[in-house]
Amino acid sequence: MMRNWTKFALAGISALALSACDSLMPVDEAQSGDGEGTIELAEFPDRPYWGDTHLHTDNSIDAFGFGVRLGPEEALQFARGDTVTATTGAEAKLARPLDFLVIADHSDGLGATRRLYDAPRFLIQDETLLRWHDMMHESPEQSQLAIAELITAAANGDLPEALRDPEASEENTRDIWTTHLGTLDRYNTPGEFSAIAGFEWTLMPDGNNLHRVVMFRDGSDRTSQVLPFPGLSTTAEQLWDYMAAYAKDTGGQALAIPHNSNLSNGLMFEMTMPDGSPMTAAYAAKRAAAEPVVEVTQIKGDSETHPFLSPNDEMAGFGVKGWELGNLPLTAKTTDDMLAGSYVREALKRGLSLEEQLGANPYAFGMVGSTDSHTSLATGDEDNFWGKHTGNEPASEDRAVAAQNLGTRVGRFGWNYLAGGYAAAWARGNTRAEIFDAFQRREVYATTGPRMSVRVFGGFGFEDADWDGDWVRKGYSEGVPMGGELTSGADAPRFMISALKDPDGANLDRVQIVKGYLDSAGEMQEQVYDVVWSDMESRAVFGGKVPAVGDTVDREAATYTNDIGAAELRSVWTDPDFAEGQRAFYYVRVLEIPTPRWSLFDAVRFGITLSDEAMADSVAQERAYTSPIWLRPSA
Amino acid sequence: MTMPRWTREPLVHFLIAGALVYAFFAWTGGTAVDPSSRVIDVDRNAQAELALQFERTMGRSPTDAELDAQIEQYVRDEVLYREALRLGLDQDDAIVRRRLVSKMDMAAGAAAEMAEPDDATLQAFLDDNKERYQTALNSSFDQLYFTDKTAAEAALGRVLGSDGWQGIGEAISLPPTMKSASQRDIRAQFGEEFSGVLAALETGEDWRGPLRSGFGWHIVRLRERSAGETGFDALRQQLSNDWRSAQVAERKERAFDLLRDAYRIEIDR
Repeated sequence: MMRNWTKFALAGISALALSACDSLMPVDEAQSGDGEGTIELAEFPDRPYWGDTHLHTDNSIDAFGFGVRLGPEEALQFARGDTVTATTGAEAKLARPLDFLVIADHSDGLGATRRLYDAPRFLIQDETLLRWHDMMHESPEQSQLAIAELITAAANGDLPEALRDPEASEENTRDIWTTHLGTLDRYNTPGEFSAIAGFEWTLMPDGNNLHRVVMFRDGSDRTSQVLPFPGLSTTAEQLWDYMAAYAKDTGGQALAIPHNSNLSNGLMFEMTMPDGSPMTAAYAAKRAAAEPVVEVTQIKGDSETHPFLSPNDEMAGFGVKGWELGNLPLTAKTTDDMLAGSYVREALKRGLSLEEQLGANPYAFGMVGSTDSHTSLATGDEDNFWGKHTGNEPASEDRAVAAQNLGTRVGRFGWNYLAGGYAAAWARGNTRAEIFDAFQRREVYATTGPRMSVRVFGGFGFEDADWDGDWVRKGYSEGVPMGGELTSGADAPRFMISALKDPDGANLDRVQIVKGYLDSAGEMQEQVYDVVWSDMESRAVFGGKVPAVGDTVDREAATYTNDIGAAELRSVWTDPDFAEGQRAFYYVRVLEIPTPRWSLFDAVRFGITLSDEAMADSVAQERAYTSPIWLRPSA
Repeated sequence: MTMPRWTREPLVHFLIAGALVYAFFAWTGGTAVDPSSRVIDVDRNAQAELALQFERTMGRSPTDAELDAQIEQYVRDEVLYREALRLGLDQDDAIVRRRLVSKMDMAAGAAAEMAEPDDATLQAFLDDNKERYQTALNSSFDQLYFTDKTAAEAALGRVLGSDGWQGIGEAISLPPTMKSASQRDIRAQFGEEFSGVLAALETGEDWRGPLRSGFGWHIVRLRERSAGETGFDALRQQLSNDWRSAQVAERKERAFDLLRDAYRIEIDR
């Protein structure tokens, strides 16, 4: 039987701590809103802003279980470039700050951990507790004494009877959420750093990952009117209803970002309704409206495509190892027939087919990368990997070869983790509203960590000569950027593509276009085109393939050189296989030259010996995936 | 203490924490029952609470079927919760232990979280930490890009005698002109090496360089540099955030020292 003192000690201490959070610091109006009208905006989106939309802090019940001791405040400090002390003791800092951060703590965890305890009102009604409450506010010494008293009383069973309040748990959740929103406002600095509200909705039927991150456009004036939507016992449609209700009631906006489809065992992107019945147009439209973007790459693997689905794509299979074995906790193995519902490229193709049948495309989404770090440290950098969770921060020197916590000892190892990705948003400035709107119009892209600048415009009139003029203006005025749609007619679409390397990173190997389309029989097809690559004269296509760029990585030292590859690759590309009126999508994939992964940095730093398989995977071509541009027949 | 291997599995921690969550959901849910009881009474009050909870989450009342599902879920949770307690799953739990430790830290820092520092306090904090709030630089400059250093050096000669400078460099998707750009912005677009060297340049109407970047070589004309907006008012929010963090850390440490003094700690060497 539960010992009462434990229960009450928890309740009391929490109540004391929570009571401190009741009043919020006044924050400048420009910082607490959506940022509209606070800074001067560029005419067009002029640079990609870098962020992580998927970070967990100690407010997430599992992150806490994994041991993290850093909260949202430290998370924000780290993301904007400050040095913080990680849970395991070492100092952590980003080489380059991020421009925005969405803290996405589990909605269930958020309320639930705090519901372990009781509400402030409880204190005020009881004399003893009220006294402790007052001691708390007197000085830290007094507050420690109060807690010591409280624990003693609790242990002796002398605690006063608590009043029960049906609204107490709800109030506690609200306290935590409101406090969190206040913290975000304090760190939100229009023009410099956007601290964006969100949460993770964690639906996981039988261990199959159907998680979404929900991201808000607004400041605390609006977001404080709702609570994070629980994932337990709810459905995705109910989540979308919640988001729609939020928009209607507050005038704000929210969007949802599915992630780790690779661990859904085919359930994330089904051709049917969740119950197996034929998909309805209403469902497809609802899903499309709520979910304009997916997270395609993160620490727990990459979901672009799988070699089984894309046998002709020689670059498929990045970040697939280990994750392809089964669902999240590895309670159910993945079979080949499940893969199509688990990967993003296939989902984009399914979307075309469903749109043909239903008139609405549930899977017309853009792509971002993020971390899903549970350490409060938003870093996707290979040479600065702080682990999936506190149990594999760098303090665990053998983390690269150790078995993972999820599905331990059945085939997933530390080195299967990616360092995590980033989300790049083409925006006119750095405010909550500008960043959110970029997501909403899908003018965003994913990288597996490097910060390369990738632009693509789709249209029908672009020419090589456009590079000599103001091609960005032409792109926007005569075409559409990534995430946009074109009407499919007689002419083949043209794409103006520019990929600029990460200024502090590796050179580029090649730029590819991935096309998905419905053929004349209505069957889903895909094709990968090499559009432009470095040293094209010396790397002539041979046997239908572009020769490999080479490899400068020193395995003994975990270093590489930029002696190969290119600083920028750009081209105007026309689809050579276009058929009139075709329904298609096109996205750009940019590959860097081979560089060391975090596992190789670990091996060198800590003197760890990687297995042959892990060693072979310790060097990779990091990449970027843009949101697609769609080609739709006129209605 | 030696614990079985499974107890160190974070997933198990999560599951136990989850069980606790359910437990406290039930506990704060308002039914004042002894967990050892084998009667689960979902009376009208309890049902009303479940309905209310549903309504707060969904923004509407539950249908009869939905309420039935809520009740079913509640009963399931309650049964498992009580069985978990009977099995003693709450005892010696690492999560509870850690949570308590964390709460002690939080409580110690709470007063600082509440405090609203006045300007004098913040000014003193600024004076003590001057190096952290160095004046931000804003630069306005033109740049021309070259793959090779020699080409950049040659262009330096040509651009001096030329009326138009645009078009002299090689094509690259970088802005030829940056206006009042922060050091942070320059670094994001041109990289660490370039921004560092640029920051040390003197302003002037002449072209300088070449400067190296991750892309290649640049010659630049640094037209203007101004100290960014870093007056006290502009820094106020940041100072307030940082002051509060420092206070919390300090109070935690002081509170710990105070408590620790009451212990005699024996460590076998």
